[in-house]
Amino acid sequence: MNTISLLTGLRFVDSFFPSGGYAYSSGLEAAAQDGAVRNAEELSRFVVESLTTGIGEREAVAAGLAHDAWVSDTLEIAFTADRELDAMKLGRESRTASRQMGRQVIRLAAEQNDRHLLIDDYLAAVEAEQTPGHVAVSLGLTLAAAGWSKEDTIAAFLYQAATGCVAASMKLLPLGQREGQRLLDGWMPVIQQISHRAALQRELSSWSPIQDIYAMRHSRLESRLFRS
Amino acid sequence: MNLPVDGSSVFATVGRRGRLSYEFERAGPRTILTRSSCTSPWHHFPPSYLDDSGCAYTWLVNPSGGLVGGDHVSVEAQLHAHTHVVMTSPSANRVYRSLSEPAAQEVRISVGPGARLEWVPEVTIPFAGSRFRQSIHVDLAPGATVVLWDAMASGRVAMRERWAFAAVENEIRIRTPLGGSVVERYRVVPGRLPESVGLAGSWDYVASLFVIGDGVNAEIWKGLEAAIAVILDEHPGLVLGAVSTPAAPGLAVKMVARSAPDLTVTLEAIWAAVRKDLWNLPAPNLRRY
Repeated sequence: MNTISLLTGLRFVDSFFPSGGYAYSSGLEAAAQDGAVRNAEELSRFVVESLTTGIGEREAVAAGLAHDAWVSDTLEIAFTADRELDAMKLGRESRTASRQMGRQVIRLAAEQNDRHLLIDDYLAAVEAEQTPGHVAVSLGLTLAAAGWSKEDTIAAFLYQAATGCVAASMKLLPLGQREGQRLLDGWMPVIQQISHRAALQRELSSWSPIQDIYAMRHSRLESRLFRS
Repeated sequence: MNLPVDGSSVFATVGRRGRLSYEFERAGPRTILTRSSCTSPWHHFPPSYLDDSGCAYTWLVNPSGGLVGGDHVSVEAQLHAHTHVVMTSPSANRVYRSLSEPAAQEVRISVGPGARLEWVPEVTIPFAGSRFRQSIHVDLAPGATVVLWDAMASGRVAMRERWAFAAVENEIRIRTPLGGSVVERYRVVPGRLPESVGLAGSWDYVASLFVIGDGVNAEIWKGLEAAIAVILDEHPGLVLGAVSTPAAPGLAVKMVARSAPDLTVTLEAIWAAVRKDLWNLPAPNLRRY
């Protein structure tokens, strides 16, 4: 990857990017309020399981398929992954959050100096509500267009999800910045392994029932810091 | 998930191929069975009428007691316009240990205009070392509604056999007439990774319920969602569940439970709420026990 590819992609993964990800906790707020996640160790288990058999086999595969769509110049692959993701994300809040973040990613990707017809076409389909525009698919297309490899694209998506969980947890749990960095450091090999595996998969699946239940319960919390 | 078809794979040489097929039509106030066929291990039972709603209560009976590796059983049903069918089973679906081939169950049901399908089988129990693949596909016509329940035990809990099966693959796909879908697809392989079962490992039952249809108005969905959320909170520590609105019109419920009674009492309460809110019908008495 050359430097301009690296920097172009980093812009979309950086927490400075205005996707609104800071407003979502991926069910962690509901889990924390219920006492299911109380400290760094429990947070790590919750997140690693989600990364491994939850989003690691669903969103991560969708991001990889979006990368395939770019490489093969066949947007239908991205549309299919997008529709499947929409059908599988059963919780309203997490589905809406993913679509909102994805729309922001693809809009800004289409506004770059270096224009790509495929990105423009995908954005047009999202704006016309012909495809849901989930963030995994939007980011997969965007990083592929920036020149990132498929595995790196998936890893970046998972890294962004992981940092989002740490950022949310620092507001929900007694978790400091150094502890957060220690957790992220420990998750790097996990993300690397999942990225490699997800890059080979074609079918989305997900087994994270507890994480899914907490994400679905979030909308009924009496007091909420986050939108998911 | 694409299950191999008969004759295309190892299934051609190992296990039983059982096919159960039904077709229902509306005749006056009743739903009647107009065509059926069945091959072993399925056993055919004509529908019964447990109340005066006209609903055809249909029992999926496998007298052999369960599925072994290499078995490939299927259920196909066509519900014509304005029929109402409950499909259930008399006992748990036991899946026995297999060293190589999975046992496979494939369900394909089409639900016609204005028809109602309630797919509420007993729980699947994957024994230690078992391999199970299931796919349930339901196609809904305009105005059709499906209530689809699917539950899995961690194993033979009474024998302290928990999360010891080799693999369970499950796919549920409900297609609505405008093209939207609800999909649940998972693959659990307890021995693959430390995270394979995950936090669900401290629970013994995992279940999903889908209530999907485009003929129900938004206010009814909203009220039912609130009612189900209350039911799911009635057994804290014993049941953990949530309800939300999926991408297709309707509701999705996911839950875990500590025991079979916890699971059953919650299902019965939710099922009763669904029938009351959607159709003003009472909860069915299946006279199973």
